[in-house]
Amino acid sequence: MPSVFARLYTGTGAFDVVGRRKTWYVAFGVLVLVCILSIAIRGFNLGIDFTGGTQIQFPTSGTTTPVDVESVRAVYERAVGEEPAAVQVAGTGAAQSVQIRSETLDAAQLVTLKDALFAEFAPVGPDGTPTQTAISDSAVSGSWGDQITRQAVIALAVFLVLVTVFLAFYFERSMAIAALVALVHDVVVTAGIYSIIGFEVTPSTVIGLLTILGFSLYDTVVVFDKVKENTRGLLGLSRRTYAEAANLALNQTLMRSINTSLIAVLPVLGLLVIGVGVLGVGTLADLALVQMVGIIAGAVSSLLLATPLLVDLKLRDPKVREQAERVRMRRLRAAAPGAGDPDVGDPGVGEPGVGDDAVLATELRKEKALTAASGVPSRPGKAPAQRPQANRPTGRRRT
Amino acid sequence: MATTPGQIRPWRYLASFVGVIAVLYSLVFFTGDGAITPKLGIDLQGGTRVTLEARTETGAQAPRDQLLQAQAIIQQRVDGLGVGGSEVVLDGNNLTITVPGDDGEQARSLGQTAQLRIREVVGGPVAAAPAPATAPAVPSDPAAPAEVAPADPADPAAPTGTPQGAGLPVVETDVAPVAQTTPLTAPTPGPTPEPTPAPDAPAADIPDAPADPELAAAIDEARALRQSTDPAVQQQALATLDCTANDPLRGYDDPTLPLVACDVDGTAKYVLAPILLEGTEIAGAQAQPAQGGIGTVVSVQFTTSGAATWGAYTSANIGKNAAFVLDGEVVSAPRINSAIYGDTRIEGQFTPEEAQDLAGILRYGSLPLSFTSSEAQTVSATLGLASLQAGLIAGGVGLLLVFLYCLAYYRVLGLLTILSLILSGAVVYAVLVLLGRWIGFTLDLAGVAGFIVAIGITADSFVIFFERLKDEMREGRTFRSAVPRAWVRARRTILAADAVSFLASVVLYVLAVGQVKGFAFTLGLSTVLDLVVVFLVTHPLVALASNNKVFGSSKFSGLGSAARMGAEHKKATAAASGRRVSTTKGA
Repeated sequence: MPSVFARLYTGTGAFDVVGRRKTWYVAFGVLVLVCILSIAIRGFNLGIDFTGGTQIQFPTSGTTTPVDVESVRAVYERAVGEEPAAVQVAGTGAAQSVQIRSETLDAAQLVTLKDALFAEFAPVGPDGTPTQTAISDSAVSGSWGDQITRQAVIALAVFLVLVTVFLAFYFERSMAIAALVALVHDVVVTAGIYSIIGFEVTPSTVIGLLTILGFSLYDTVVVFDKVKENTRGLLGLSRRTYAEAANLALNQTLMRSINTSLIAVLPVLGLLVIGVGVLGVGTLADLALVQMVGIIAGAVSSLLLATPLLVDLKLRDPKVREQAERVRMRRLRAAAPGAGDPDVGDPGVGEPGVGDDAVLATELRKEKALTAASGVPSRPGKAPAQRPQANRPTGRRRT
Repeated sequence: MATTPGQIRPWRYLASFVGVIAVLYSLVFFTGDGAITPKLGIDLQGGTRVTLEARTETGAQAPRDQLLQAQAIIQQRVDGLGVGGSEVVLDGNNLTITVPGDDGEQARSLGQTAQLRIREVVGGPVAAAPAPATAPAVPSDPAAPAEVAPADPADPAAPTGTPQGAGLPVVETDVAPVAQTTPLTAPTPGPTPEPTPAPDAPAADIPDAPADPELAAAIDEARALRQSTDPAVQQQALATLDCTANDPLRGYDDPTLPLVACDVDGTAKYVLAPILLEGTEIAGAQAQPAQGGIGTVVSVQFTTSGAATWGAYTSANIGKNAAFVLDGEVVSAPRINSAIYGDTRIEGQFTPEEAQDLAGILRYGSLPLSFTSSEAQTVSATLGLASLQAGLIAGGVGLLLVFLYCLAYYRVLGLLTILSLILSGAVVYAVLVLLGRWIGFTLDLAGVAGFIVAIGITADSFVIFFERLKDEMREGRTFRSAVPRAWVRARRTILAADAVSFLASVVLYVLAVGQVKGFAFTLGLSTVLDLVVVFLVTHPLVALASNNKVFGSSKFSGLGSAARMGAEHKKATAAASGRRVSTTKGA
């Protein structure tokens, strides 16, 4: 048996995911429960967009007085007469800045504060001279976050409906259901992780959460596509059960799933590192963090939750159960001495089935016709030379 | 079997991609203003963004026509700031005001509802002049239409004209017709409070003093002088009021007290009685041709209660003047010719445009809706620049990581991925510039994040294709024969996966509010362009590579172990089931 990595790489892993589905269900059930409990009890750490407030930010580079949290606090208290909610220095190098967050300040307080900050620190603008316009501020009413959340919930609902329609057309019903369950899981778990760890929730986070849905489905689509291919015409054969075929598809797409998720995570990782490292907190970091969590949840659920669920849903179909029974009987007979059945001689390897090859052939013919129609006539002699070689590996006799 | 690989014509696809690039970039370089940078949002270039949320009593969607009217009015006010590139975008119930650069602070007060009030004219008009009001009555403002004869300053109550037009009761304006230029109030000067939630029914209460102490002091002073009930003080105010200076009382006058005010052109000054009617009592106003066919009149409809008040007042005050005051400035002060209980016509020597403007002010001088500022953000140019740089660096790092991973994992095939990604970036950039030009699409920080996230989606398409290739090779095919089969199967998955991503982006774009739109837009855009690149570049390149020795060699392609497996498997199956090779397909 090759190493785990080699098995991963070549897709011959024979990791029994579907067989252990009870374990996954329990694990996911506990996870989702914990998440829901945390959301219900702990709630979220909502940013100022939801609670309302004022945020002031100015660059620290080029200031006349060294900027530290304490001195900024002092200036704030002198100017406003109250304590700021939070002061932090974020980012690095030339892009380092100070962020002050507070209750909603009225315009007079804002003017006084900006004056005081400018008098104390004199931050420089882009042209290198001190200017009061180097101080950024944003004021948000508490209703802003509500509005965004409301729209996000509407978007979520609409998306779910559209996706259900899409999946119902593209896949079968049970696949659509399984994909949707995985989707809901991803949203709940991502939200739950935010609640448990206490990451700040901003409008960017809420939106990022919605784009996760796309990713989550993307992963599931990739796996289910292979399941679909592996199970085509399955009911007419008694080589393997639906569960085995699905598990095989899972193994074959395992590297693909890992790769797609990894490649999706890499840029997000860059976004997160740079977003936090250079700018400190903000839109970039918020979007990146939620995507990171969501992509990972999406990848895991598409493998360990969606496919097992699909198998269980399928097993409710009497025809699938009958077929599984036939497979079992056949294996029993095969196990009897001397009765080797060639049909089971090849366990654990892909069998796209006859129908799939026919479809593929049609597609290839179509494509060939298309290019032939749009192109100059191919050089005679070349194509026939390729043919035998190309044909051989299918190993299929045409009769 | 009709599997004939290598039969697509890669060069054709590549040529059409080159065509696409050529068309896009010639559009970029040779159309429009030739600016080859995308439009940047204020969080990337610095500026002020204010989101105003229309408030309706039920919380329902505000009527669209009212939103559009409000948008037009606020756009006018924004233009009054004189900052280039400012815009007002209507998005659902929200109006988003964007003012680039450092001068946008004033934009925060633009959503304030201007107060239209009707007051009785008790003194004036006195011609305003730069010097205190001893100068002769010469209109100093060139904007004042020349054909308008100012009323006799000595005796405003004396009828100076004959009523025109029979039939409808009319008031006649022979003073201070509205000027054509900027009929709406300019923003309050200086730092102003962010718009406090406007009352749903603007009652005649005293506006809150602004928060800026200097301005508040100026207002107190102006109120003491110009809103005095003492006639002597009023006369003094009338004499000293300088109509060319900024008026601190603009929008802050106390409706229950008299007011000494200028007209909107700064050409005349009035002493006005306490408020007679609120602008909200005006139900409608239209400019229409005068009955005699000469000139234009403005017809005004009042609400039921407004009509009652107006009727009682006009019947008792025939021959006097009433002033329509917008934020403390007289926009029109017509003389009352008869008691009017129904529709009122204001006649005067209006040009059609002036009449339209006046009608507009009377209708919407108060914004048709009340707005609350749900988000107000000023980003300094420094921070904007830092954000832009951070976004670009993040994108660069993301790309680099993906490059490295692809190279490590797919070896030379990784090169194709990198090439495709770069070409994809080139297309995206051109489309971005063009969209900025055509539909005013602005790239903001969230949009940058969308592109970065989309790098993953673009690269994913290659992964699906390459992993498919591996599948085929594992079943014992050569690289060359695997390409077309892998493509046909991968194509379906890529299309489905991209469709899902695109669906998510579209839903987000349509339904999300605020800056999120940028994220959804760039994500969706990248998804579509990803398909273009995968179909026109990646697949043809791989097809070409399959005929190439270096790419085909198992050593470089990163598909070596899959190929070895395929070979081993073939051998094994051949040996094991020698007599019936055909029944088991190569695995």
